[in-house]
Amino acid sequence: MSELRSLQRRFQEYLIGSSEAIKKDIVSTSDALAEHRLGTYFNAYRIRLLDCLAIDYSGLQKYLGPHAFESLALDYIKAHPSSHPSVRWFGKYLVEYLRSTYVHEDREFLSELANFEWAQGLVFDASDEPGLYRLEDMALVPAEAWPAIRISFKPAMRWLDLNWNIGPYWMALDGDEALPEKSRNEYPVRWLLWRKNRDPFWRSLEVHEAWAIEAAQNGASFAEICEGLCEWISEDAVAMTAAGLLKQWISDDLVERVDFQ
Amino acid sequence: MSLPIDKPFLGFGLGLRTDHYEDILRLKPKQIDWLEILSENYMVDGGKPLYYLDAIRQDYPMVMHGVSMSLGSTDALDYDYLKNLKALIQRVEPMWISDHLCWTGVDAKNMHDLLPLPYTQAAVNHLADRIAEVQDFLGRQILIENLSSYITYCDDAMSEWEFITAIAEKADCNILLDVNNIYVSSYNHHYDPVDYLDGVPVERVWQHHIAGHTNNDNLIIDTHDADIIDPVWALYEETAKRFGPVSTMIERDGNIPPLDALIDELEQARQIAGPYYQPIPYYQDV
Repeated sequence: MSELRSLQRRFQEYLIGSSEAIKKDIVSTSDALAEHRLGTYFNAYRIRLLDCLAIDYSGLQKYLGPHAFESLALDYIKAHPSSHPSVRWFGKYLVEYLRSTYVHEDREFLSELANFEWAQGLVFDASDEPGLYRLEDMALVPAEAWPAIRISFKPAMRWLDLNWNIGPYWMALDGDEALPEKSRNEYPVRWLLWRKNRDPFWRSLEVHEAWAIEAAQNGASFAEICEGLCEWISEDAVAMTAAGLLKQWISDDLVERVDFQ
Repeated sequence: MSLPIDKPFLGFGLGLRTDHYEDILRLKPKQIDWLEILSENYMVDGGKPLYYLDAIRQDYPMVMHGVSMSLGSTDALDYDYLKNLKALIQRVEPMWISDHLCWTGVDAKNMHDLLPLPYTQAAVNHLADRIAEVQDFLGRQILIENLSSYITYCDDAMSEWEFITAIAEKADCNILLDVNNIYVSSYNHHYDPVDYLDGVPVERVWQHHIAGHTNNDNLIIDTHDADIIDPVWALYEETAKRFGPVSTMIERDGNIPPLDALIDELEQARQIAGPYYQPIPYYQDV
């Protein structure tokens, strides 16, 4: 191993807190103690990553408060040193860390809150789509082709199944407003997140829409979606309901294209 | 002072920051000759960052400045990163790209900091080889930037300016000379910053950064979160005397003020450097 590589390993081990052997490689004088000078890098490493997490998880920070959030962040920094060239992805594992490792009485709530915030980030800079599918484009679909149409959604669309009332809670945190009571649903609620005019949006879905959007995402045809919706919607109203959902998805700028051939 | 024909002079620029996207797009301030982007901020799939990048690029020349090439690391070069960088280069068509004379991690870790290297011949050789490899892959010369540093390695065998010069000559790359970083490091390591200026080859210096910092009495930290102080302006004047027309930009990454405040600082740079050359943007006249 080259001397330079050994030196870099000692430096990195110091930064992550596993060794202080690098100190012998650094000039130390009375007005510039090696320990003090190295400490600048030690602290900067943590502050930079802490700041990054605070941006990506601003609601979580507000919920926990600065001290508890810092403590969480320092534990996470130790557990998950960054391996990506962009600090953008440093916080990628925090949701799972909260879910599986973090010791806290509200662990599930915290993990869902973090998941909601991380998903917003993914929506924010997801891939752009080449075109915009408009309601008027639906007129191009021949009447006889409707049963077979298949819907493709934009890359920025994603959903989360959350047990807690994270959406309204996060909005109150973000707006520094009075916080609602935390409540846990008997069954998870699906939250849809997407981007319209470059801004992230989200809303909760009723169970029939949650099913329909997942079926459409998995390649179900319009006829198959209608058939599945019959579990919640009467047969004579199901086609109108499915068409209404599609219209809503198009209006929300969720749809990339509708294939009918 | 004559301007080498192969050394474009862009004039006086700013770093493009999200806080100023709307103002720059709407007002298209003429006092800003060009913009520097942080490459990694735009190595994403889509959304607002790329929307504003593309829109603002229509109005301004740009250069790309990176923090993750990790030229000094003893890990292999990250070709996934370089491929993404190359794709961004094709999108932006920058005048040039730059990164730092540093390493950011080893063993596939990234410390997200600009970590200094020992000033040794072995490090010169290592860096020059890596820069040459990057330049071969990208098909263009790059600029390397001097750091602010807080430590001195026991193994140092040359000055920082000898180090950066040796690397630039050996790799045949150009230099982004950060005037604030020279000031910070000279303060932290007790040398005369003018010696640094005198030790760097004029023809290789294509860009300057100037910025504010935080003085903690016996150590200055390069924070880019404050106004530029008078001693840095004075050093910038010494720089202008020696290097002539070099594209100059103000780096501001924290406590970001309204755009007008940065334009005022940019005007100050123009006034200081102006007497030593005619600040004509290259695309108008050169």
